[in-house]
Amino acid sequence: MIDGMLKALKVTCQDVYPLISETQDHPLPFFSRMRLKMHLAICELCHIYRKQLEIICKMAQSLGKDDSKAFEETSLKPEVKEKIQKWIAEKT
Amino acid sequence: MSPETLEPQQWVENYADMMYRFTLVRVKDPEAAEELVQATFFAALKSQYTFAGKSSEKTWLFGILKHKTMDYFRSGEKHISIDLTSTEDADRISFDATGHMTPKPASWNMNPEKAAENSALAKVLAKCLSGLPEKLHKLFVLKEIDGLSSEEICKEFNIKPTNLWVILHRTRNQLKLCLESNWLNTKLRFL
Repeated sequence: MIDGMLKALKVTCQDVYPLISETQDHPLPFFSRMRLKMHLAICELCHIYRKQLEIICKMAQSLGKDDSKAFEETSLKPEVKEKIQKWIAEKT
Repeated sequence: MSPETLEPQQWVENYADMMYRFTLVRVKDPEAAEELVQATFFAALKSQYTFAGKSSEKTWLFGILKHKTMDYFRSGEKHISIDLTSTEDADRISFDATGHMTPKPASWNMNPEKAAENSALAKVLAKCLSGLPEKLHKLFVLKEIDGLSSEEICKEFNIKPTNLWVILHRTRNQLKLCLESNWLNTKLRFL
């Protein structure tokens, strides 16, 4: 217990920064959560890093939507469209 | 509702480009994306009489597309193994002797919600995504874009959770660095 608490107090960015990413993937175990929390309380850089990952996460979610603008200049090839349209005409 | 609510004659015009773009975000290979869209329309035509009208035509078509895309992911490697020591997938963030990130991360000065709405940024992220190694790309797409849980992904691709977390962490770092080099350099154009 005391060991864990001491460990929690003495951490560098390098020690905890993978945890910032991992919070998006699974609930952190108690001591990891505590180490991260205490580190974030004193480290501006890791705050910035966390914010950056948050932005990436939000952007990725938006990228996945059917109205995403990521490929707005890209279209399915006309010949492929024609082919599909022909199938449809045959089957309906 | 009856099958008449589907209008197959209008599908290509209404949805083909949208579906193709939707797929391009998820699979790296444009030809594969093209085939997935074709396969979706083909399957939709074959099963149009099973359309119960519980969802909209668009939702129904995208549902088929999502299934086809997942099948495509499954048809790749059954067991995704990542060599965590390889340079291709390596952690590209560096630290100085005192354990601080170097160079120091600079604030992007952006609100996450605003960033998500920015189409220029979306293009940069899409470009960065397509530059990822295949395996990292697939796992990132499933986790962050399609919103699967870590458990589902681990089960599907036979990955240990700790391994997945490391992979996702490194993928996010690669994207972060890519965004910084491709977007921060040109940021002024967007502001």
